[in-house]
Amino acid sequence: MAVAGLSGLGAAVAGYLVYARFTETTVACTTGGCEVVQRSDYAELAGVPVAVLGLGAYLFLLGTALLTFELMRVAGAVAAVSGALFAGYLLYAQLFLIDAICQWCLVSDVVIGLLAVACVLRLRSG
Amino acid sequence: MTRRTYVTVGALAGLIAAALIAASILGAQGPEPTQAHRVSGGDTEALLDGIPQQGGALGRPDAPVTLVEFADLQCPYCARWSQLAFGEIVHDYVRTGKVRIVFGGLSFIGPDSDEALRFAYAAGDQDKLWNVVHLLYANQGPENSGWVSDELLRGIGAEIPGFRTNRALDERTSPRVEQAIASAAVLAERHEVSGTPTFAAGRTGGMLAVLPVQSLDPEGVRPLLDQLLAR
Repeated sequence: MAVAGLSGLGAAVAGYLVYARFTETTVACTTGGCEVVQRSDYAELAGVPVAVLGLGAYLFLLGTALLTFELMRVAGAVAAVSGALFAGYLLYAQLFLIDAICQWCLVSDVVIGLLAVACVLRLRSG
Repeated sequence: MTRRTYVTVGALAGLIAAALIAASILGAQGPEPTQAHRVSGGDTEALLDGIPQQGGALGRPDAPVTLVEFADLQCPYCARWSQLAFGEIVHDYVRTGKVRIVFGGLSFIGPDSDEALRFAYAAGDQDKLWNVVHLLYANQGPENSGWVSDELLRGIGAEIPGFRTNRALDERTSPRVEQAIASAAVLAERHEVSGTPTFAAGRTGGMLAVLPVQSLDPEGVRPLLDQLLAR
């Protein structure tokens, strides 16, 4: 249940950033750095917007919440933990390399961190 | 779930995260410019030769339309616009006397933005700002990596015929440069610029309005400029 809810929240945040990216609309921002982060070199990975990768990851995690057999739980844990580690690196990039903070990215960082914990705890139920 | 499963999850997650981080770092660094590409003054000279420059403005002062480009010289999207659209817009609109482009330089990405911006505005005192801007975009390095070194700026200056590089380096902190930076910041604030590149345009001498530019190729601004010219 927690994995499904958090995945849905993460997908909503990532979906908003994907929407803003492809419609070239300005991201709503109270931290003042969202556009700087979204237009930085770190906002793409091999030409693919990081927001798109995030959306894909959250939808995959949502799928693992619905399909609860063991392999999916293991795959979900791998995806969530790797996502959290990568999010940690992107947080470092915001703070020390780009020198700007995107509030949507912070929300996503918290969500993927909680998802990593939830997905690892979910392994115990097997 | 066995201990082995946890180890497997941790190892796989670590590997995937390491691959993602490595790809991100490589992507942020971008391709290493070759020496031939590093400073390409000839292309810039051919593009801008014969077009009047006055400080931060490129084109005839009596051009019917003024286009302001708000940009950060470290912004990769600004460099992409410079690469994809600037040449064609200059050829079709500026060289023909229809449009005057004004540089609205901002420096919000970091220290290298400020270094580059100061040098560009100092070059404006010699009416060579757009040569420097074009060359800085062509040689853009990873954000805040220290790529805007005096060595790079000297290399760029050496590629611009008649340009006095030492004078520009000395004038980076001059009151005129400070004033130009402050004026651009005020103009950007007035137009609520929140990202770069942002373009504002209007009939010369009249009010400027932010353009709803949808792409970074020439077609992103061409119909908007044509509309203004048709008024």
